[in-house]
Amino acid sequence: MTDLTIANPRVIMHLDMNSFFASVEQAANPELKGIPLAVAGNPKERRGILVTCSYEARAFGVYTTMNVGEAKRLCPNLTIVPPRHELYRQMSDSVFDILRSYTEWVEPVSIDEAYIDTTDIGGLTRAYDLAQEIQMRILAELDLPCSIGIAPNKFLAKTASDMKKPMGITILRKREVPKMLWPLPVIDMHGIGKRTEEKLHSAGIKTMGDLATAEKITLEALLGKNGLRLKQRANGMDTRPVDPESAEERKSIGSSTTLPVDLTELEDCVPIFERLAKKVAARLETKLLAGMTISIQIRYADWQNTTRSRTLQQAIYLEEDLTKVALQLFQQHWNHEPIRLLGITAANVIERSEMVKQLTFDNFEQQEKEYEMDQLMSSLTQRFGDGIIKKGCTKK
Amino acid sequence: MQFEIMRDRLLDGLSDVVKAISSKVTTPILTGIKLEITEKGLTMTGSDSDITISTFIPVEEDGTQIIQTIQPGTLVLQAKVFNEIIRKLPTNEVMIELRDGMKTHIRSGQSEFHIIAQSADEYPILPDVKDAERFEMPADLMKSLIRETVFAVSQQETRPVLTGVQWIMKEHELYCIATDSHRLARRIVTPEIQANSPFNAVIPGKSLQELSKILPDDSTAVEIFIANQQVLFKLHNVLFYSRLLEGNYPDTSRLIPIEYKTSITINGRNLLQAIDRASLLAREDRNNIVHFSTDGSPHVQISSNSPDVGNVEELVEAVDIEGEPLKISFSAKYMMDALKAIDGQDLKIHFTGSMRPFILKSIDSEAILQLILPVRTF
Repeated sequence: MTDLTIANPRVIMHLDMNSFFASVEQAANPELKGIPLAVAGNPKERRGILVTCSYEARAFGVYTTMNVGEAKRLCPNLTIVPPRHELYRQMSDSVFDILRSYTEWVEPVSIDEAYIDTTDIGGLTRAYDLAQEIQMRILAELDLPCSIGIAPNKFLAKTASDMKKPMGITILRKREVPKMLWPLPVIDMHGIGKRTEEKLHSAGIKTMGDLATAEKITLEALLGKNGLRLKQRANGMDTRPVDPESAEERKSIGSSTTLPVDLTELEDCVPIFERLAKKVAARLETKLLAGMTISIQIRYADWQNTTRSRTLQQAIYLEEDLTKVALQLFQQHWNHEPIRLLGITAANVIERSEMVKQLTFDNFEQQEKEYEMDQLMSSLTQRFGDGIIKKGCTKK
Repeated sequence: MQFEIMRDRLLDGLSDVVKAISSKVTTPILTGIKLEITEKGLTMTGSDSDITISTFIPVEEDGTQIIQTIQPGTLVLQAKVFNEIIRKLPTNEVMIELRDGMKTHIRSGQSEFHIIAQSADEYPILPDVKDAERFEMPADLMKSLIRETVFAVSQQETRPVLTGVQWIMKEHELYCIATDSHRLARRIVTPEIQANSPFNAVIPGKSLQELSKILPDDSTAVEIFIANQQVLFKLHNVLFYSRLLEGNYPDTSRLIPIEYKTSITINGRNLLQAIDRASLLAREDRNNIVHFSTDGSPHVQISSNSPDVGNVEELVEAVDIEGEPLKISFSAKYMMDALKAIDGQDLKIHFTGSMRPFILKSIDSEAILQLILPVRTF
């Protein structure tokens, strides 16, 4: 395999927003600045867990995913605010807009992370200055801190952005890999979780250096193709290009909720799924999308996570349809253990205009009614504006 | 048992019989072909329990001796092995002989095979078609009515009865109807020799496809016997049995519109080619949808759009357009299947709105009707 980083040197940046949700809250409300702050599911309920927390809170040993009670014990002055996803999404878009004002080669990875290929905008000669300028602009215009990693490929850039937080800029060169990365335990490497760590340990591979020098055969037997990929990464090699479209393809819309009490009965879960489906449907509606693949997430009381999905022949977007598929999946896969979290995700989303439904003898009359209703509603909305009419429901 | 037979005639018979052989049968004996030799000739039978095909080769035909029976008898031979052996034998004379229990000798020229046969005692008897309704049709007509309907059967087992073609005889006309609930194909024929009373049977689509392969392209008469659970197609020297599907076939007559809002007369071949071109941009993983519209001009507009690939637009000249302007979207595949069944000539398409079934007919005959349900767009 040719090594693209040598044949065609690139300069990739990885931008990581520092404790993003908390920072957005602090930017929106300056009174929250400089104090221990956490964003948590629902602070009044016992199962609220921290979605993120400020650096001031981290100083007390508070960390993300910790539950509210525990965090309060470590840091009695902790201020807790509920999450405002709409606001985070807007701020995230603003960050990406700033990045796109430099180059089109921006690949958003999640709400608070992006890769930028800066090769064509002077990255080869003045990457550090560029990173500093981007960082200062995001701080000045949005009042948000971020860390930036600069490296010849995605893997090293992501690793670098993690090294200095908050407001760090780190350059990681390939030749520094043995010195900087190889002494680290494998779990510190991106792409390695608990399971993979266990497997690597079983073969005596403890550090990234062990991984970098391990036999290909051993790794392939242990982890399949992924093993070979990890070995390359541990050697500082990664040929994935920055792909501005990839985020579009992966796009999915989901909602999940940690339950106030563990649920054990089906009839208690039904209204939860209905509520989640309503949220997902509302978000699909604002973007005029529909999902081909519906998945549900179950987290059991013992923190075991299960995700099950179904790909449909026809994309769906209505609350009733989402609820129906989610409940079918749930009844099929729930092992009747107590549940602490439930979620629904619509993935593989397509534009509503791309969506079609093949009529059948059994449904065309009903579909025709729905279609006429939709036509009527959209013509009324066009004439009188948004929200003039909404679908109601029959009282049970 | 012992007989001598001309290899080419044996192969002709075998090529029909092996069409009934399936490797997926649950009864082991059905992986074999049953051979029964008498003074009159050789009967070979193959079956997968849904379809049973039996051919007869006479001892003598048009003064030519085909078989020489030395000793009558029956046996069952492994279908695949037997077929391959006969195909590759060196001369046109084949001697088949059963001796020492179940050991079968197949001899041709200098080549001699010894294969193990099975006893014919275990082989199922031919299906019962007593009390059947009997009528007749030429083979080529039967072949075309199969071609015009069978593609529309359902490929999914969720409603088993829809995997078959309904044959229903009423008022001296035979209606052949297939639908997968997204589209429907109907062919009406008037058999020359009529059944005594009306009947209603559902023949598996797969059986009709196999039958079609062994029907000759001429007007040889085919006798059809429809019994309670079986249908028998009887050709010169070939018996083709098929199981009938159980369950009620939905009443499709009420689904066919009789009043229209837009009627278009158009050349079928031109339309087929335009739809074929429009479907070029469809992505494999998505439904292949084309949009069809009229706006008062003497053209219909065909278009298709795949966001990642591009879009295409084409005007096709119509012979005549009556009624309201129309915008409708449908599966390109269903439309092409229907147009191929009607075959080329000028045809009429009758629409009753963009969310309702529409029908296609030849302009000069009511015999073939194709119906398609559109897709809903959002």
